[in-house]
Amino acid sequence: MAATVTEPGLERVRRLETIWDEPHGVLGWLTTTDHKRIGLLYFFTTLVFFGAGGVEALLMRTQLSQANEKVLSPETYDQLMTMHGVTMIFLFVIPMTIGAFGNYLVPLMIGARDMAFPRMNALSYWLFLFSGVFIYVGLFMHAAPNAGWFNYVPLALKPYNPGRNIDFYALGLIFNSVSSTAAAINFIVTIFKLRAPGMSMNRMPLFIFAMLAVSLSLIFALPSLTTDLVFLELQRNAGFHFFDVAHGGSPLLWQHLFWLFGHPEVYIIILPAMGIATSIIPTFAKRKMVAFPLVALAELLVAFIGFGVWAHHMFATGLPTIQLVFFAAASMMVVIPSSIQIYAWTITVNLGRPDFRAPLMFIGGFIAFFVLGGLSGIMFAAIPFDQATTDTYFVVAHFHFIIFGAAVFPILGGMYYWFPKVTGRMYHEGVAKASFWLAFVGTALTFFPMHMLGLLGMTRRIYTYPNGMGWGAYNLSETIGAFILTAGLLMIFANLAYSRFRGPAAGPDPFGGGTLEWSTTSPPPHYNFPVIPVVRSAYPNWDREDREADRARLRRGELVFDEGHETPAATVVDAVPDEVLEMPSESPWPLVLSVCTAGLFVMLLVRHYVVAGVFALLALLVLAAWHWKEPEEE
Amino acid sequence: MLRSLWRAATIAATTAALALPAVAHADGGQNMLHPESKQAHAIWTLWWVMLGVSAFGFAVIVFLLVLGWVRRDRASLPFGGGERAGTAIVVGAGIFVMIALLSALFVWSDIFVLKTTEAPAASSTRLTVKVIGKQWFWEVRYPGTAAVTANEIHIPVRTRVNLEGTTADVIHSFWVPELNRKTDMIPGQVNRILLDADRAGTYRGQCAEYCGLQHAHMSMFVFADPVPVFRRWLANEERPGRAPATAQERLGRRLFMSMPCSGCHTIRGTPAAGTSGPDLTHLASRTTIGALTLDNTRSNLADWIQNSQRYKPGNKMPGFTLTKTETGALVAYLERLR
Amino acid sequence: MNSFAYRAEPRLARPNGWWGIAVFVATEATLFGTLVGTYFFLRFDSAKWPPPGVPEPKLTLPIVLTGVLVATSIPVQLSVRAASRGRLGAARAALLLAAVVQAGYLAMQLHLFVHDSHEFPPSGSAYSSIYFTMLGAHDLHVLVGILLSLFILLRTASGLTEYRLTGLRATAFYWHFVNALAIAVVLTQLSPRL
Repeated sequence: MAATVTEPGLERVRRLETIWDEPHGVLGWLTTTDHKRIGLLYFFTTLVFFGAGGVEALLMRTQLSQANEKVLSPETYDQLMTMHGVTMIFLFVIPMTIGAFGNYLVPLMIGARDMAFPRMNALSYWLFLFSGVFIYVGLFMHAAPNAGWFNYVPLALKPYNPGRNIDFYALGLIFNSVSSTAAAINFIVTIFKLRAPGMSMNRMPLFIFAMLAVSLSLIFALPSLTTDLVFLELQRNAGFHFFDVAHGGSPLLWQHLFWLFGHPEVYIIILPAMGIATSIIPTFAKRKMVAFPLVALAELLVAFIGFGVWAHHMFATGLPTIQLVFFAAASMMVVIPSSIQIYAWTITVNLGRPDFRAPLMFIGGFIAFFVLGGLSGIMFAAIPFDQATTDTYFVVAHFHFIIFGAAVFPILGGMYYWFPKVTGRMYHEGVAKASFWLAFVGTALTFFPMHMLGLLGMTRRIYTYPNGMGWGAYNLSETIGAFILTAGLLMIFANLAYSRFRGPAAGPDPFGGGTLEWSTTSPPPHYNFPVIPVVRSAYPNWDREDREADRARLRRGELVFDEGHETPAATVVDAVPDEVLEMPSESPWPLVLSVCTAGLFVMLLVRHYVVAGVFALLALLVLAAWHWKEPEEE
Repeated sequence: MLRSLWRAATIAATTAALALPAVAHADGGQNMLHPESKQAHAIWTLWWVMLGVSAFGFAVIVFLLVLGWVRRDRASLPFGGGERAGTAIVVGAGIFVMIALLSALFVWSDIFVLKTTEAPAASSTRLTVKVIGKQWFWEVRYPGTAAVTANEIHIPVRTRVNLEGTTADVIHSFWVPELNRKTDMIPGQVNRILLDADRAGTYRGQCAEYCGLQHAHMSMFVFADPVPVFRRWLANEERPGRAPATAQERLGRRLFMSMPCSGCHTIRGTPAAGTSGPDLTHLASRTTIGALTLDNTRSNLADWIQNSQRYKPGNKMPGFTLTKTETGALVAYLERLR
Repeated sequence: MNSFAYRAEPRLARPNGWWGIAVFVATEATLFGTLVGTYFFLRFDSAKWPPPGVPEPKLTLPIVLTGVLVATSIPVQLSVRAASRGRLGAARAALLLAAVVQAGYLAMQLHLFVHDSHEFPPSGSAYSSIYFTMLGAHDLHVLVGILLSLFILLRTASGLTEYRLTGLRATAFYWHFVNALAIAVVLTQLSPRL
């Protein structure tokens, strides 16, 4: 719907364009604070890591396609196995959902012009990029982390792992967690303070509830991992004793601290996917989400209860029975918020008039895989069964259905869904549907047989297996499935890449979405909205009167905020308008600080502690310079 | 229509595929769906019931999705329900039915079945076997006797055996799927598990916690023997290594003691007292070499001694360049150690 | 909703900077929670704590030092009060006084750290490892706090703006958190004697 903008409106829009414009070319990208550009930087960087993790997987699957294969040595396999997990979790799925989707969409969905801390947003990206490169330098030196993505001690300690492999792991992940923590702080403050007038908490989009839950989880989960990694480095390189029994330490300390992070982490992985699903379903079902408040609450509860279940990863370690039973009970409780959502999604589809275009098909696949993975998850809450199948391919099946089937499918569907918004063009629907089926069949064929393998006794993390175990046929079909899946993924990216340049023009709202990103142009201007929208429901873009009222305000000059680099802030619960914020514009400091931080971590890795101290000092000076000029002074 | 057919076909294929392991016998004896003890059987029953209920739950959701597609032109539930009915289903099925099912599962598995699979009081068992995980083999001891062996555990059939597991280095995990669940072997800790085989036979197990380069080749056999057979075996295991009988065997023994072998391996009754490798006192009575990496034959043993890295790369045993005479002598001596 | 009273005085909600520090404090508090949790996990796993050969923790000096540190919350908060009322001189004086005392505290802590780590080095036991890691983390947070205070003092030398006032508030919040944590840390470290 083309808006007729009259002269005063045009004048104001031009002023906004000038104020919010960023430098063109590489310099613009290096100093950007525009959340959309940062989202795109995250998007392409995480895709590269996705490719790396995928290659690692295909190499492993090739090695395992038959008994006694000799494609990879055990050393190489162990590094690939570890890097696959580390890459997919820390360098792909989390930065993709939070850094790419979250960054791009959150300000748009809440009717804001940017995140609360735009420069810290850029900082999160550069820190993420450098931490990923840091870890991969290890792989290129054939000294990649090799003790599995959860890196149990004593295997990860110096006597059993004397090289730099584990130091790449520990320092790399501490480095990475700074990025994630900064991002989480940014999302929480943005969601609390920068919502459009009238968007009280009960009117926030469900995607925003998911991002809020994710960010709170990161805040409370990451410190446990950081502590564990610091202990590890201190024990490895400074002679401290946390994990060895001889000096009063405990190997289970590593596991408790790791899983205290690690379990919330898997909810951090799945929550944005739930958020994407709850965005796509109402749009294509053409109705509001059924039981909206219950779904919003469920998203928060999943995160919260998820903090109480961690020891279910340790059921075979010999914990006292009472502890086993407690954690099993908690693990069953955490199912409820997920089952609420599954029924809400499927009932919404039934109650609406669903248009099964590609995005909704991916969500259909997501629901099927999520239920499958969730059901095997419930089985693990039956302690004796868990104690039989933990550390076997049954677990590998479970978590891949969840992480790939249930976290990645919404990402793929979300790429199609928001592609027209980001690029202004439409993808090819027929190819998109075909790519769904290829990916769906590939995923099922790759991961379903793993259930059987686990029951047949195939343990995890083995680089080969003998003949005569009955494992060969299943392994081979999984390898075939992996290649089919790869073909599906390549088809998706080919479709998007082609459509980016040759796709037909898509307007601001090709699917009839209910959230605010669909109320602005495709792609959105740097300033997102010429007029800050006033919101009166949870699906503001379906309130046509309100959106007309926005356009009227542009003519009158209300809520345009074109006197500077401005966005409004409101109160936390009711979004009562409060103040006008002057936002910082492009800045070199995030990149410079990230370089200093990278220097610090590299020096820690090579144990040049004095030089590390110099980098730390530089970082402090950069921080001071960053905060020296105040926004009002610009 | 096509979609629902496809979905039905997928479910049918899935169920059929799932049933396969139960009927397929071409497995290596490590199949938890062939339970051979009361404990393994309890887990087996738990599995099938959970699978049945899960398949039903999965079918419900798939049905709802298919229904949504089939009725995509109608904005209501089949019986005419709207938002209120929808919310009622979300609450009813998503919360209350789930709570009921989960509670039932919890009580059955985490209170009753757990009692069966948890390690019982040692006093209620008739024999204790101690297994120590080492990179990458299993040291097996019989407390109260002098018997020490590796990778092959003999137990009397239909006897409650208290297996105590620990490790000498990193975390390993002891798992013999047809007999019981797994238990981790953690430094400084002794974890116990019950082995109580219903039938005589050979049960295969494998290390189930990633423990380094050769985690993949750290397997074991549990032989459940008739009681008299077990007693004879144990009595033999207690004896020190048999003295060499021929000149070739004597040469082999001399080579063993003068080469690095005796630094890593023990042969009771000789000066060889190393502990980083498996006890070889009764090597010839074992069926495999290298924790089930190779069958224990003369030619395999000769190969292994000269180049174990070829079969188990990264294991702690170096290669040795030996003449045919030397190899023949060593193998002859080791094969004497029945 | 036809008119919107932006730039209302006083603002209704807390500033973004305050929320940012609040969330940051939440993550740091969790970090210390894991350190305290580790301490007690290792303690209840041990027969003797501290282990043989390691002296019991001193009681008086740590309590006195902690008391001194916690007391600096008063001038810090007074600084915020004064600044909110536009009395910049008094605000800076109070903050400076607090910083001097905090620096003195830190110097003493560093001295004790070096001395004690010779007596019962971290490489000797899990007890010393967690003891010095927790103490080191705490001292690091005190150092960061002092640097924050110094930065605020530097910036407010040329006057007080809304931005700098928010910075002062955020720094004060951070200090109250560090001081509260100091109590938790010292109670944990002294727990064998309590």
